[in-house]
Amino acid sequence: MKVKTFHENIFTLQQGKKRFLATRNLSPGFEVYGERLVQVEQAEYRIWEPKRSKLAAMLLKKLPSPFTNTSKVLYLGSATGTTVSHVSDIVQQGVVYAVEFSPRTMRDMLPICEERPNIIPLLADASKPQSYANVVEPVDVIFQDVAQPDQASIALSNVQHFLKPGGYLLMSIKARSVDSTAKPDTVFKQQLKTLLEQDNSKLELVKKQKLAPFHIDHLGVVVKKTE
Amino acid sequence: MNVKTWFADIEINEDGSVADCSPCTQDVQQLAERLLVFQADPKQIPPAGFDPVQNAIECGFVAGETEYYSLLQQVCIAATRLKIKNSYSPDLRIIHAVEALDDIDEAANLLAERLGIWYGEHFPEAGMLTENLAKFVAENGLRQDLQQDSQFHEAARSSVGMEMDAEDGAIIKAFAADLTSLYERRHVIEAYIHKNMEQLAPNLDEVAGANLGARLISMAGGLQSLSRMPSSTIQVMGANQALFKHLRGKATSPKHGIIFNHPLIKNSHPKIRGKMARALASSLSIASRVDAFSGQLNPAIKEKLDRKVQSIKEGSK
Ligand SMILES: C[S@@+](CC[C@H](N)C(=O)[O-])C[C@H]1O[C@@H](n2cnc3c(N)ncnc32)[C@H](O)[C@@H]1O
Repeated sequence: MKVKTFHENIFTLQQGKKRFLATRNLSPGFEVYGERLVQVEQAEYRIWEPKRSKLAAMLLKKLPSPFTNTSKVLYLGSATGTTVSHVSDIVQQGVVYAVEFSPRTMRDMLPICEERPNIIPLLADASKPQSYANVVEPVDVIFQDVAQPDQASIALSNVQHFLKPGGYLLMSIKARSVDSTAKPDTVFKQQLKTLLEQDNSKLELVKKQKLAPFHIDHLGVVVKKTE
Repeated sequence: MNVKTWFADIEINEDGSVADCSPCTQDVQQLAERLLVFQADPKQIPPAGFDPVQNAIECGFVAGETEYYSLLQQVCIAATRLKIKNSYSPDLRIIHAVEALDDIDEAANLLAERLGIWYGEHFPEAGMLTENLAKFVAENGLRQDLQQDSQFHEAARSSVGMEMDAEDGAIIKAFAADLTSLYERRHVIEAYIHKNMEQLAPNLDEVAGANLGARLISMAGGLQSLSRMPSSTIQVMGANQALFKHLRGKATSPKHGIIFNHPLIKNSHPKIRGKMARALASSLSIASRVDAFSGQLNPAIKEKLDRKVQSIKEGSK
C-alpha cells in the first residue's frame, strides 16, 4: 500500500483504486474497535472508516484539520472511544481530554485510556464545563459530537472556558437530535446562529459541510476563535 | 482569588501570578476523591484561560510536563473507575432478572415443544404440555415404567405410541429433568423479582403487581427513567415491536401497551378499557415517581385509583 500524508499525522493508504483514511498507531499491535491494522514499512496504520466516525467523514468531506502533533484537544462526547483513539494517534505528543457522561459507555473506553498515555478520561457532563475546569487546560481544538438538543450551547460554554484564542471548534450537528420534526437545513441554520451570533463570542465560521453519504442529516462545522 | 485545581488550592494575584500554593501529596486515590468532590459541587473554579500545567510546575507539585500528564491520567482513570462503580442503581437487578426470565421463557418454550414432539411419539395419549409434561416425564420416564396406581396406567397399556427401550428412556427422562429445573429456576427468579420490587418500588408493586411493575422498569431502562415518563407514554409502552419479544406466548393485542395485561383492564368490558388504561397509567406514573424519590409505600395512591375505577364502572352502567 502507498502512504500519503493527508494532513499532519493523518494519512491515506492507496490500494489499487481504493483509498483509505488512516492514522499511525500510537500503540502498535493493538486495535481498538475492530479496525484494520496495516503495516507499511516501519509503521503500523489504523484504517479510519468515515461511516464509523464523524471526524473522519468531516476530513474526507474536505473540512480542514486543525490538529498537529502536539495539539491539546478537548473531546466532548467520546462514547466508547472510536474516534478518540484516532485523535490520540494524531496528537501523538499532545493530550486529549475525553468527556463522556454515560458510565456504561465510559466503562468501555477505560481500557483504551490505559493503553494510551495521552487520553485523559472525564466522566462528566459536557453541559457543565465548570465541573471539569479544575483539570482541563486551555486547548487548541475542541471537538464535539454529543448529539444533544442543545449542542450549540454546550459547545459555546466549553469554547468560552477552554478554547485558546486562535483555536478551533469542530462539531458535528445531528439534525434529528435537535429537532426530529423540523427540516435539517432549518435546524442547522438555527444551531449555527446560536453558535455564531452571540455577542462577543468571537467565533468565525471557517467551513461547513454536510456529512452525507457517510452520515445522513449531519452537518460538520469548523469554527475559529478569533481572539 | 483562591482557586481549586485537581492538585492544589492556589491563591492567585490580580495579574494572574501565583501568590500562594499548597500542593496535595501525590496520592492517586486521594487526588481522585478530591477530583470527584469538586466535580459534584464545583466551587472556586479557576478562571477561563487558567493554565494548570504551568501552575503545577511552579507550585512544585511536579517537576515537569511528563510527570504532570502521567499523574493526571492516573488520577482521572482512578476517579472514573470510582464513579463508574458508584453509578449502578439497585433496580438494575430487577432489569437483569426480568431479562433472564424472558430468556428462560424462550429457551423453555423451545425445549418444551421438543419434549412434546419426542415424548408424544412414545405416549401420544398422555396429553400434557409444558411444565406438567416435563415434570411427568422427569418423574415417571417411559410408559412401561408407570406405577400400577398411576392414572395413566391404562392409557399406557393400550398406547399406540412407538416402543422405547431403557436407553431411550434414560435420555428423554434426563432431558425432561433439565427442562423441569429450568421451570424451577423461573419460579425462583420470579420470587426474587417480587422481593426486590417490594423493597425497591413498593408503590409500583402495589399498583401494578410485581410482574408488570418489574417489566415497566425494565422496558424504561430503570426506575428513574420510568418516573420521568409522562403517563401517556406509560400507557402505550410496549405497544411496538419490543412488546412481541416480551410477551411472546401471551395473548395481547399489539395495539395496546403492556399495561393491558393488568387485571383491571383485562377483566373490564372493552368499552371502558380505554378509560381504565388512562386511570391506571396515571396511577403508575405517580407510583413510580414516589418510588424513585422516597421509596416509601403510600397507600393513598392505590386508594385513589380504586375510587377512580369505581367511578368509571358506575359511569358505564
Ligand atoms: C454520537 S456519540 C459519540 C461518538 C464518538 N464521538 C465517536 O465518533 O466515536 C454521542 C455521545 O455523547 C454522549 N453525550 C451526550 N450528551 C453528553 C453530555 N452532555 N456530556 C457528555 N457526553 C454526552 C453520549 O453518551 C454518547 O456516547
